[in-house]
Amino acid sequence: MADSTTTNLLLTKPEVGASTDTWGTKINADLDLVDAKFTADLLSASANGVTGFKNRIINGAMVIDQRNAGASVTPANGDYTLDRIKVATTQASKFTVQQNAGAVTPPSGFKNYLGVTSSSAYSVVSSDYFLIGQALEGFNTSDLGFGAAGASTITLSFWVRSSLTGTFGGAINNSAYSRSYPFSYTVSTANTWEQKSVTIAGDTTGTWIGATNGVGLYAWFNLGTGSTGSTTANAWAAGSYYAPTGAVSVVGTSGATFYITGVQLEKGSTATSFDYRPYGTELMLCQRYYFRNTGSLYAMHGVGTVFSTTQADVYTKFPVSMRIIPTVSLSSTQIQVGATLYAATSVSGAAGVTTDGAFSRVGTAGTMIIGYAAILANANNTSGYLDATAEL
Amino acid sequence: MQYQIQNDVNGNPCAIAIVGKIISIPMNEGNTDYQAFLAWLAEGNTVLPPDEPVNA
Repeated sequence: MADSTTTNLLLTKPEVGASTDTWGTKINADLDLVDAKFTADLLSASANGVTGFKNRIINGAMVIDQRNAGASVTPANGDYTLDRIKVATTQASKFTVQQNAGAVTPPSGFKNYLGVTSSSAYSVVSSDYFLIGQALEGFNTSDLGFGAAGASTITLSFWVRSSLTGTFGGAINNSAYSRSYPFSYTVSTANTWEQKSVTIAGDTTGTWIGATNGVGLYAWFNLGTGSTGSTTANAWAAGSYYAPTGAVSVVGTSGATFYITGVQLEKGSTATSFDYRPYGTELMLCQRYYFRNTGSLYAMHGVGTVFSTTQADVYTKFPVSMRIIPTVSLSSTQIQVGATLYAATSVSGAAGVTTDGAFSRVGTAGTMIIGYAAILANANNTSGYLDATAEL
Repeated sequence: MQYQIQNDVNGNPCAIAIVGKIISIPMNEGNTDYQAFLAWLAEGNTVLPPDEPVNA
């Protein structure tokens, strides 16, 4: 019998009993072929974004907007806008945030972006900062090894479009804001999408939270920062800095726009293709931090029993385990007992909330019958909701 | 903003409410709403006592 070949890779199968002096060479050639094929496929998958979860940023394509469903908001300090996108600001009402603000065409490959619009021509004072970005959980950054020798280099890449041009910036910070890396990038042409990447050597000093559910690191984009929070670009510094010195102030020009999408923070010194994830997967990643149940006139949030004449205990199962025990809030909801409806007036965690679900005691002004089954639902209002918040 | 204590069925503090909102903030130091409450307390503000318990 002559040599034959395998079906798929066409590897040589030495003829049994007739390859005494050649079978080793043939097997070695096969092994080389398998090795080359394996490596090529792996590189190809990575280059094409097939491998998942390389992006440490959640909702980097600005697809999920549970809170506002595309509506414009004027965020206060600490508010979240699109899912996982947080605002830090020292002055109120200086800019608005909206998914797809201005309705421009997103960069190729994207359907959504986050749009910031300046509300006035505000001159920042030394202590001001206006930032938008993300707090990354320690569980998702601990492998970077920041704070010790051998810390990994990271690369932040994104698409940006602004009505302003010049040197923009942002910063990477640790949870205590005792370590900062202000980075800079240039917007060359107004109102044009440009892709940027910033490579940052890992910080080998300072205190960085490891594998915990606390803040592993902050990644901020600067919209205007005073001198106190600004320092030399593209170098690690001790202290709280959010922008490179001299960066463009978006809030300094009334009506100025700053649009961003495709935000990716990955390990390594090269910006690779954006890590597209299925919508359902991205939504679940967001829901670890924030979950809103809503959507119809009588959207049901949970079921339970009447505990007292004015209180019902209702259980709500969260879609994913949340980062910590969340804050639970209600808006425009009611308790339904039989055919009778009682507007919800309070909610208490007295009956217990876990990271997996809320067993909430919902107060009403009604006179309910103890022991009857109770339903918590929207009060004939599509904008009603139950929220569970466990943000960083 | 005014905060109010919420008690569990045994009369022990278990959560924080915000007056005027239908919200329950767990007393968990990792919860940013609870962190905001602690910061508010540290500014010298006084939290309201819990409502009288409602018996079943």
